[in-house]
Amino acid sequence: MVNVKEIEGKDFNIKRSAEEDRILSFKDHVCIGCGLCEATCPVEAICLDEVAPIERKYTETYFSGHEKIAQNYALFKNDNEVKAKLCIDENKCVLCGMCSGVCPAGALDLTIGGVSIKENEAYPTLIASAEIDEDKCLFCKKCEAACPRASITIDRTLPNRADLVTGEIEVCEDDCIYCGACAELCPAEAIVVDKTTGEESIVIDKEKCVYCLVCKKACPVNAIKAVCRSCSYGEYDLDPAKAAITGNAIIDKETCIKCGWCEGVCPADAATVKQAFKGTLEIDEEKCGTCGACIDVCPCNVLSFPKSSGPGDRGTHLVKEEDYCIHCGACAKACPNGALTVTRTDIDYTPTSSKSWIAAFEALKN
Amino acid sequence: MPKHIVSGLKYLESVELRKRGLSQKEISSQIGVDRSTISHYLNGRNISMDSIELAKTILELSPKDFILITKVLFGDYKEIRQIVTIFNMNHYDPQINDGCIGCGLCVDLCEMKAINLDSLKAKINPRYCCGCLMCVENCPTKSIEILEVKNG
Repeated sequence: MVNVKEIEGKDFNIKRSAEEDRILSFKDHVCIGCGLCEATCPVEAICLDEVAPIERKYTETYFSGHEKIAQNYALFKNDNEVKAKLCIDENKCVLCGMCSGVCPAGALDLTIGGVSIKENEAYPTLIASAEIDEDKCLFCKKCEAACPRASITIDRTLPNRADLVTGEIEVCEDDCIYCGACAELCPAEAIVVDKTTGEESIVIDKEKCVYCLVCKKACPVNAIKAVCRSCSYGEYDLDPAKAAITGNAIIDKETCIKCGWCEGVCPADAATVKQAFKGTLEIDEEKCGTCGACIDVCPCNVLSFPKSSGPGDRGTHLVKEEDYCIHCGACAKACPNGALTVTRTDIDYTPTSSKSWIAAFEALKN
Repeated sequence: MPKHIVSGLKYLESVELRKRGLSQKEISSQIGVDRSTISHYLNGRNISMDSIELAKTILELSPKDFILITKVLFGDYKEIRQIVTIFNMNHYDPQINDGCIGCGLCVDLCEMKAINLDSLKAKINPRYCCGCLMCVENCPTKSIEILEVKNG
């Protein structure tokens, strides 16, 4: 009947063994530090560490010249290495699983008799999903690069570097999605693709080009035009079967937080994301002290200081990409000045007959 | 010593069930004691008076103390249920309100195994509730109320 806490690094399990074993497990690397569990816990057993969630995404050099940010960085950096984001008092915890129910990241999970409550129909579960349709996927890796949690792996096989043909190469930039498949395959390293959002470019160095046309074969959107140089047949006719890119798009269900970046950047509409919370994120620019704490905690890379005009000036004005905000509230909790307000207006969860659980889910709205 | 207390309690059980009109055979099968011992009990033989006195004192204890001591003496929940239902003359009406979060703490605590979880809410079988109030005391959301039913 006594709760037992087993700690392994920053992760832990709390167990209560009786008729059926109840185990509440916490995974620190999955936790986004939003604190919804802390607010929901009916016995106030959870404490979110105020400092630990701040995982600095930027390096110290990035902040040089911004004294305040650099100071904060130095302050948080050391603590960060030892503390877990969450602490649960095992003597208070009754293993009801409410924290596990409201956790938008799936860092907390209660199992009863070895079965997660997410599989149990009596328990309400947040409805969120992220899927990539491999039939539509071009395996261009844009989602892999955009995913803020590095949860996507695109495992692709590019076409064979065969059938060398000489020709003239041109890129139609209107069609190009800057996926980099051509640059990755080019045997002559003649192609440079810059994938930086807003500044995408592709350059083919015709001096280096060996006119093998592998790039054309690799291109998922057929943006590369090639003209056969050794003959005069005009546009090179490509066998689609030989040119196909094959692969797998894998989402790590453990760390994926269903933010929607993959869906947003996908050129082929292959990714579909459903968020559990709907709401708004507001920035009060007058209160914002530009410390960067919100940027560091945001699990969805929604907040940023846009790079600005000249060197040394990174801009101090905070901007948001609200489409990809999951409204978890981690930024609002991290902000020392109360400059951010996250409002959840709608929460999608599976039905339950338990009034106390409905009340707990409804309480997430604010 | 615990063995003597157990036999004292079994003696009182036999006498009580006999009063209710059960035959020796029925008593024997209900309380799991062989018929010759029951016969001895009912004829007032082979039983120490001290044990009976002690057993009577145990019956006077509050429901919580009574169930805790029977737990130590018998261990097995079926026997605990047996003796508690024979001697507990009170009836209880357990009420669970909407604050119940389905944590199952009461299920694990109930020595009578009178509680189970049904759709994320505790459900107490009044037939087995002994009124010990351990569930009430430990409920994290104070969602359990046990009402005593007054007869007549």
